Amino acid sequence: MTTANDVLDALQSAFPGAIQEFRVESDNRLWATVDPNKIVEICKFLRDEEDFDHYSGAAGVDKIDEDLFEVTEILASHGAHPVVALLKVKTPRDTPSVKSLTGLFWNADWYEREIWEMFGINFEDHPGLYPLLLVDDLVGSWPWRKDFKGYPDYNTNERVLEKINPDGYAEYKISPTEAEIEAGTVPETRPEYPTFREREIMELETESEMILHMGPQHAIVPGPFMLDLRVDGERVKKAYLDVGYIHKGIEKILENRTYIQGIPITDRMCYLASLSNNEVFCGAAERIMGIEVPERAQYIRVILEELSRIQSHLLGTGEFLSLLGGATFSPFQWMILDREEIISCIESVTGARINHSFVRQGGVRNDLPDGFAEMTRSALKTVVDKTNEYKELLLSDNIYRKRMEGIGILSPEEARRFGLSGPPLRASDTPYDMRREDPILVYPDLDFNVISRKEGDSKARVEVRLDEIIESCHIVEQCLDQIPGGPIREKVSKKIKPAPGEAYYRVEDPRGEMGIFLVSDGSDKPVKVKVRGPVYAYMQALPPLLEGAYVADVVAIAGSMDACTSEVDR
Amino acid sequence: MVLSTIVESITDFVVQEPKISGLIIGLIAAAIIASVINVGAMGVVWLERKVLGDMTNRFGPCRVGTRWGILQLVADAIKLFTKEDSIPRGADRPIYVWAPIVACITTMLVAAALPWGALNIGGVVYPLVAVNMDISAFFVEAALSLMAIGAFMAGWASNNKYSMLGAFRGMARMVSYEVPMGVCVISVAIMAHSLNIVEIVEAQSIWYIIAQPLGFVIFMIALVTDLGRIPFDQSEAEEEIIAGYVTEYGGIRWGLLYFQEYIIMLLGSVLLVHLFLGGWNGPVIPVISILSPMIWFLMKMILVLVFLIWVRGSLVRFRIDQVTDLGWKWLLPLSMVNLVWAVAVGVYFA
Repeated sequence: MTTANDVLDALQSAFPGAIQEFRVESDNRLWATVDPNKIVEICKFLRDEEDFDHYSGAAGVDKIDEDLFEVTEILASHGAHPVVALLKVKTPRDTPSVKSLTGLFWNADWYEREIWEMFGINFEDHPGLYPLLLVDDLVGSWPWRKDFKGYPDYNTNERVLEKINPDGYAEYKISPTEAEIEAGTVPETRPEYPTFREREIMELETESEMILHMGPQHAIVPGPFMLDLRVDGERVKKAYLDVGYIHKGIEKILENRTYIQGIPITDRMCYLASLSNNEVFCGAAERIMGIEVPERAQYIRVILEELSRIQSHLLGTGEFLSLLGGATFSPFQWMILDREEIISCIESVTGARINHSFVRQGGVRNDLPDGFAEMTRSALKTVVDKTNEYKELLLSDNIYRKRMEGIGILSPEEARRFGLSGPPLRASDTPYDMRREDPILVYPDLDFNVISRKEGDSKARVEVRLDEIIESCHIVEQCLDQIPGGPIREKVSKKIKPAPGEAYYRVEDPRGEMGIFLVSDGSDKPVKVKVRGPVYAYMQALPPLLEGAYVADVVAIAGSMDACTSEVDR
Repeated sequence: MVLSTIVESITDFVVQEPKISGLIIGLIAAAIIASVINVGAMGVVWLERKVLGDMTNRFGPCRVGTRWGILQLVADAIKLFTKEDSIPRGADRPIYVWAPIVACITTMLVAAALPWGALNIGGVVYPLVAVNMDISAFFVEAALSLMAIGAFMAGWASNNKYSMLGAFRGMARMVSYEVPMGVCVISVAIMAHSLNIVEIVEAQSIWYIIAQPLGFVIFMIALVTDLGRIPFDQSEAEEEIIAGYVTEYGGIRWGLLYFQEYIIMLLGSVLLVHLFLGGWNGPVIPVISILSPMIWFLMKMILVLVFLIWVRGSLVRFRIDQVTDLGWKWLLPLSMVNLVWAVAVGVYFA
């Protein structure tokens, strides 16, 4: 099996002198600072020769002390080897510019757009640097820079100018005050680009085409995002996606909170996966601090995360079915009922139903209560029985199969190219699971299968989720049998101050690869937190997937992705 | 004494002024029909909420009007009547305003020609029908297909993309399903040697569900399509096009369009009972023999209604191209087969 050292040796022999600094953290983590001029060649070499075909994301860091910006490209492989390569590129702060990787990796597009709008780092050769998450009014303030002074206060109603346009609709414009301009909270120059609406209207070809909005408020969307379809009758010609309607700036908020204070904030990234979000945030800090979690705490984390996966999949599948058959389609409500039992089990440990804030750096908050094992076992039994029933029901429903089979097919190559992870990727014949690839906690000791399907259509994606529910039940049962006694939290000082350093930690969220890139400078607050969420990749892959589908199939395709908008925007 | 005088004077009046008395009787019948179907449709809405609630593990209405929630519909109606009436700026006003009214008028047309049960007085069965036409089956079929006009008007006039798509979908669906449905009605008429629904019911010594099961299945599917209920509710698929042709409607205008669907559901199940389930035919129940046909009729009707609600709770929606496929490629040829069967069997037994 290839290790980080092998990759480093290959890189150094292929590009002598291009690796300016390097650090081999473990067998599967390689950190390297590379020559900015050679980043594209190095990534091409890694992709073609060393099987790094999974572009996992990119993170920008503002090193204001060194007068530098750092862009870290995160590369991994779809199952060929477990090495994650983190390649850093440095660029001066006054004229920040980095070479774009969009030519190599299709999904680099959104990650680079986000870094551009947040830091103002230009990406050379990027096909369209438009803002992704920010409102057009705010572009140019570069909010993730460390010298960012804050936005002007746009909440004051008196400053809103309402103008009726020729079509009879009101347009709103908010102007900053003189004081704010002087204070430097309003950028002097703004980048020029066509807005989202202008870009899509430019592409209208014939008279019979129209733009059909699905969102930001629409029955199919799991949270607010804009899905605009250019349709000709019932056929979708092209889809346009705009996110950022609930951008909360969680990563920026985390930079201003201590490590303990940050935990409740991570809950809010996705309310269905709050335990995994806690885990990934705490795990990254643990990597930097170099602490090993007590075994009992590891088991407790695994149990709760798997339970959380079960409830997330139950709700996701149920919601999706209600999209196909209306809110009155009965299985939805029955899944909610099953989910209730799982939620009660989690609640008995964490005391919360949605936002748990349960995982701590070095362990967990509290121990399992008495009788937890029996309660959970009986709940799991119900869930397994009912899930098998749902599978049978969906398999025997001809209308359901007619709607789902062969819809939104993702070939394995496409799914990998889009950077997907989790159930949609596994439904496309790629058994890629972080629990196997990048083992954390006690997962290596547990016996479980990675569920995958060959078809890659909407039906396969739902089937993978239902099978994963059963597999997770199996994992939890094993944990309940094996869990040892002992402490539940390593001794960590109340004021957590990790040593200067950085870590990339990833877990298998209910929806796929959830990673956090954490940079610490030795203080009690992180310097940079970058969240690499799975739904971000789903959303990016949606427009090409929807091309040529019927309007009704948009629901069947988008719904089968089980997206969580809150996590995309963060 | 007084009563007999009144009866006498009324009889005199009817004999002297046949036209005026006919008008008065017609108006009274219309009023009775209107109240019967409206109250009936309220019952259907209540039934649907309760049955669907049970299927999806809820209680359904249970607060307003005893623990059975009988007055929920009244509360809803009060809410709808008192809501603000707003018309979108870009709407085609006259068509927008008339669409719900047209939709309701067509349902009344259907209701006029349908028998609403029967009474058994002294061994003779008297059907309760407002207008006993010779071609009532044909008339009902024609009036049912007019229903799509109201929906299309609503979708067209709203000046909304979702409404427009919903209206187009509704039209495409109507065109592909009215034909097999009509052929099924013709098959029934051929077997009964009559187009009059009362005579069709009387001719069913064997229910036509047994005599032509294929026709029953096709008619059932076409009926669900006509009603625009899941799995055939493409014209108002909430998850795709918000609410389809009713997207821009609010208040009591929306209420009328919504209520009209339930009236049609009631009328459709009455039609199905008459054409295939033997109408009010059934063994005479002793003691209450006068109500016996009525009881059989209502029982069958409620059975059909519960079946329709059951379908809604357990199936997912078709795509619009699959709907038209099913209509043209399967139901139409099969309904022709059924027609041939009806002719052959009809001739053999004649």
